[in-house]
Amino acid sequence: MSDIWKRFPGVVANAGANLSVSRGSIHAVLGENGAGKSTLMNVLAGVYRPDEGEVRVEGVAHRFRTPADALAAGIGMVHQEFRLVPSFTVAENVVLGAAARILRRQAIEDEVADLAEQFGLATRPDRPVWQLSMGERQRVEILKALWRDAHILILDEPTAVLTPAEADELGVVLRAMADAGRSVIFISHKLHEVTGFCDEATVLRGGRTVAASVRVADTDAGELASLMVGSSPMTTERPPAHPAGPPLLEVSGLSALGDRGLPALQSVDLTVRSGEIVGIAGVAGNGQRELCQVVAGLRSATAGTVHLAGDDLTGASPRKLFQAGLGYIPEDRLGVGLAPRLSVVDNSILRTYEAHRRGPFIVAERAEAHCVDLVERFGVRTGPLDDPMAGLSGGNLQRLLVGRELSGRPRVVVAAQPTRGLDVQGVKAIQDLLVEARDEGAAVLLVSEDLDELLTLADRLVVMHDGEIVGEFDPTTAARSEIGEAMIGHGAGVGS
Amino acid sequence: MSRPVLVRREQALRGGQPLSFAIGLVVALTIGIVLLLGAGHDPVAIYERMFVAALGDPDSWSVTLNRAVPLGLAGLAVAVAGSMGLWNIGAEGQILAGAMMAAGVARIGEGWPGPVLVTAILVGGVVGGSLWALGPAVARSQIGVNEILTTLMLNEVALRLVQWLIHGPWKDPDSFNFPLAPMIPDHGRLPTLFGRAHVGVIVALVVIALFAVAVNRTAWGFELRVAGSSGATARYAGISLERKTATVLVMAGGVAGLAGGIELAGTADRLTEGISNGFGYAGIIVAALALMRPSGVAAVAVLFGAVQIGGQSIQTMGVSSSVSTILQALILFGAIGAGVLSRYQVRMVPGDPGDPGGDGVQVGEAT
Amino acid sequence: MTIHRRLLGLLAVVLTLGMVASACGSDEGADTKAAFIYVGPVGDAGWTYAHDQGRVAAAAETGVETAYVEAVPEGTADFGNHVRDFIDQGYNVIIGTSFGYMDDMLALADEYPDVVFEHVSGFKQNDTNFGNTFGRMYEPRYLTGMVAGSATESNLLGYVAAFPIPEVIRGINAFTLGVRAVNPDAQVEVIWTSTWFDPAVEGDSAQALLDKGADVIAMHQDSTAAGEKAEAAGARWVSYNSDMSAFAPNAFLTAPVWDWGPRYVEIIEAAKAGTYKPDSYWGSMADGVVDIADIAADVDAGVKAAVADKKAAIIAGNFHVFSGPINDQDGHLVVAAGETMDDGSMLGMDFFVEGVIGSTG
Repeated sequence: MSDIWKRFPGVVANAGANLSVSRGSIHAVLGENGAGKSTLMNVLAGVYRPDEGEVRVEGVAHRFRTPADALAAGIGMVHQEFRLVPSFTVAENVVLGAAARILRRQAIEDEVADLAEQFGLATRPDRPVWQLSMGERQRVEILKALWRDAHILILDEPTAVLTPAEADELGVVLRAMADAGRSVIFISHKLHEVTGFCDEATVLRGGRTVAASVRVADTDAGELASLMVGSSPMTTERPPAHPAGPPLLEVSGLSALGDRGLPALQSVDLTVRSGEIVGIAGVAGNGQRELCQVVAGLRSATAGTVHLAGDDLTGASPRKLFQAGLGYIPEDRLGVGLAPRLSVVDNSILRTYEAHRRGPFIVAERAEAHCVDLVERFGVRTGPLDDPMAGLSGGNLQRLLVGRELSGRPRVVVAAQPTRGLDVQGVKAIQDLLVEARDEGAAVLLVSEDLDELLTLADRLVVMHDGEIVGEFDPTTAARSEIGEAMIGHGAGVGS
Repeated sequence: MSRPVLVRREQALRGGQPLSFAIGLVVALTIGIVLLLGAGHDPVAIYERMFVAALGDPDSWSVTLNRAVPLGLAGLAVAVAGSMGLWNIGAEGQILAGAMMAAGVARIGEGWPGPVLVTAILVGGVVGGSLWALGPAVARSQIGVNEILTTLMLNEVALRLVQWLIHGPWKDPDSFNFPLAPMIPDHGRLPTLFGRAHVGVIVALVVIALFAVAVNRTAWGFELRVAGSSGATARYAGISLERKTATVLVMAGGVAGLAGGIELAGTADRLTEGISNGFGYAGIIVAALALMRPSGVAAVAVLFGAVQIGGQSIQTMGVSSSVSTILQALILFGAIGAGVLSRYQVRMVPGDPGDPGGDGVQVGEAT
Repeated sequence: MTIHRRLLGLLAVVLTLGMVASACGSDEGADTKAAFIYVGPVGDAGWTYAHDQGRVAAAAETGVETAYVEAVPEGTADFGNHVRDFIDQGYNVIIGTSFGYMDDMLALADEYPDVVFEHVSGFKQNDTNFGNTFGRMYEPRYLTGMVAGSATESNLLGYVAAFPIPEVIRGINAFTLGVRAVNPDAQVEVIWTSTWFDPAVEGDSAQALLDKGADVIAMHQDSTAAGEKAEAAGARWVSYNSDMSAFAPNAFLTAPVWDWGPRYVEIIEAAKAGTYKPDSYWGSMADGVVDIADIAADVDAGVKAAVADKKAAIIAGNFHVFSGPINDQDGHLVVAAGETMDDGSMLGMDFFVEGVIGSTG
């Protein structure tokens, strides 16, 4: 692909991007959110047509009009969201839409099984897809592309939905495909995966190629990261510690039920003081989510109390808690924290619209001024502020959300997975905001599945397992292995 | 060989709505020409008649506007609920309920002075429609019963109730046992604006404008829109969903009921089974065309009314009611198709997917 | 009964006014054009179909241009919109064929004094340009009852009926009198459908009657659904409006039918000549507005002869369907022997005769 340009209204997504992939290699395409990776891949896969530039496959120039054209030239794409029919079997999904002949179930199951074996893709062709794990579903998507004889396979952030063990398996499969002479384009921003199993890497920034076909063996994660963000490699320094002040968030004996009516929180005691970040580590589904929801007023407690700066606010409404100084960054940004179909302005006043009222009306100028203020203070990149929120990139969505929650200088901040899925710069920006809030005296409760993040940011670290707090650690001294043991319910944590 | 495919646009057309609307209309009218020629009619004369009957002179406009009133209010009844993500399929029944209550008021208030009686009839319509929506509203907000089913089922109940009233207690004693409700008193009828347009046109316009402002500019409307985006987001923003769901559905019912009252006092002059005339169902289409935005309902309703009036008028030229109905549907689908076209485009692709050649014809590309 | 007295009074007034106003006809127009407004689709094979047959016949006979609109609902603005469209296009005879158009027509007749309005199946008129027309359908109904009464073996006949209004009640009574004239033990059970045209409901109602043991189904409905159920059950069927034998060839016995042509010719000719005079016209078999369809081939020749005799007697004025003695459902004498019901009583009929199972409510 050479000199690809693609413009959208108000945005240039690709500004002369280049990509050259050699046969039989695993090629990483790296870049932050908004760097133009997805657009470039969609051009290659025939979803978008480039405004300028050329796509050549094995020396032949192509102008793809549809994904089917691209597939005919041997380019297949595995999207982030799978496109499978849950009630169909693996084999049926693989051949769906591709076979122009009468199908015999047994025959196609055998053919699919053969194909899977060829590349070491463990699968069960006769199983309906709804029974499969995410990793297995992804293998079905890969099989679909292989079945259509794709020689160039594009995987869009394939490991985002996988467990670490599944991600490792995927690496093995991709290697088998490369060894069989096919080319794999691997989109990611997880640097350790790139260094782990890719041969070459192309880095995009601002719609341009800033490093083309770098041999992974000749570089390291730090260098790649600096290419992506265009500044020095990401700092992993701990922000200076702060003397903790009086307790602002006090949770005691807190119990609650989960979505299925089973106990999800069991007698949790937790205190967060002014000027400290308390990190909560744990394997997903061990009560972290419910803890945040109860504290934020979105789930009722079956026992226990929540005190905010000494006031008992157990069971208070989300609005009352917000007004009492609780900022909440929910895990599900688009489903809870934001209203994606509403405008950027509307989203910026989601928590404070009552304050923008005059009589029954919301004063548009005041709301817009607030929005402009947030956008400027927190560096949110947006189009017109009246456009739907959904048009913003992931990092900018989160900046607005976090900015909105922090702009009122809350006394307590509950942040659930605040950096998940963001690019390097986005992660850094959000982390800086949380540290800044702490430095200004807020009590921050941070839930994250990224242990590195917790170890970097948290002043104290507690581990949750099965709805209970099973240990507390000092992040400056604790060994990762110790924390890991606690997370899976083994061993007693260092006493608190 | 090439074939057309529908391809999702990379970006929705900016400002493409009016253009794609025009394209949709042209496509529909072109298909209509084929249809009319096939049925042995002169398309030019037919289209001319349609236009003249619907929009040709102030008198035609007055008829079209009268028709737009129940369509617009029914559309509003769907769109207001739709702004909150609720589906009010019950406007038909709510119109009937409004008409029943309004007719009841007209019976009681025979001796009241004109302005009082007219106002009371319209208020009666609102109350009747609201009461009809109350059940689904409470069921939805308190125990989560799907409002689509309840509102839809109540349509049939309302129709049966009207039939019972007409055949039973409200049968006109002067009609020799014929199933006919008495006329409402003359001074209870809506005053005329111009031509045959009645003041219901202004009432409807004001109500639609009020709701458009309320949904777009007030805190109440903000809460509504947030709730329409996601219930979880609404709770996060501190909005009580239960009360809001109930009030919005009841309000929607009241709006549709107002249409019933206006039809009673403006066009039908008595309670009849046909008084809702499918307006409640047409309202769903109106709301969909207005993209569930109350602010768009008035314009769509006038368009819809013009299509109906014009489409019915051509029957007097010998066009059968089925051809006329198909033509009306075509034009409306053309307009809906326009909405789709602004998000998708038709592309001609080579019949053989392997052949990369051939420049495609693109329909509706306007960037 | 007050209703009857009031009706008689009304008829008297109407008659007087009609005579006084007889001189004032519509303007004579060289190009008379007649427009018909139907409540159903012309393809319904029933009520509207019969009217459209009449329109076609009248157009052929008078040479006048005609047009129609179909499926126009009652009680909405649609009716008035269509009438105005027609008048805009120069139509000066407007014929509306559904009861619910009545008050709209009255108002429009007032608004357009130069246009002739004729309403089928109503009872209102003015003294210049608005009259009404209907037919004595009870006469052929009686005859079809004779055929049905001879055909039944279970002695239970079903009657699928739309609404308990005098017109329908009168038809059920006439039919029942015909049935019991040839078969005194037979009974007629009525189901109300509350719809003129709804094939699903009509079919379900017929099926319910068949399930109860009825072996002949009669109807006052506008679709053929009841006939299709009778055909499937191996029962017999008396249709309505027009000869519907094609829809249920084995079940079909006969039908009371309309022939609107002659009446429409009369109205159009009168309008053309400028001699139109509003009237409450109630046409009989003698006038040719109503008739009995051909009787199925497998019906006994003796039955056919008896029906033919009775028909001749009705036309000649020697037999009146509602002549005493007639008992009501509860066995009370309503019409004494030697008496016949007058038009006013028939127009307001609100009771069932002996032999009918069902309620007029």
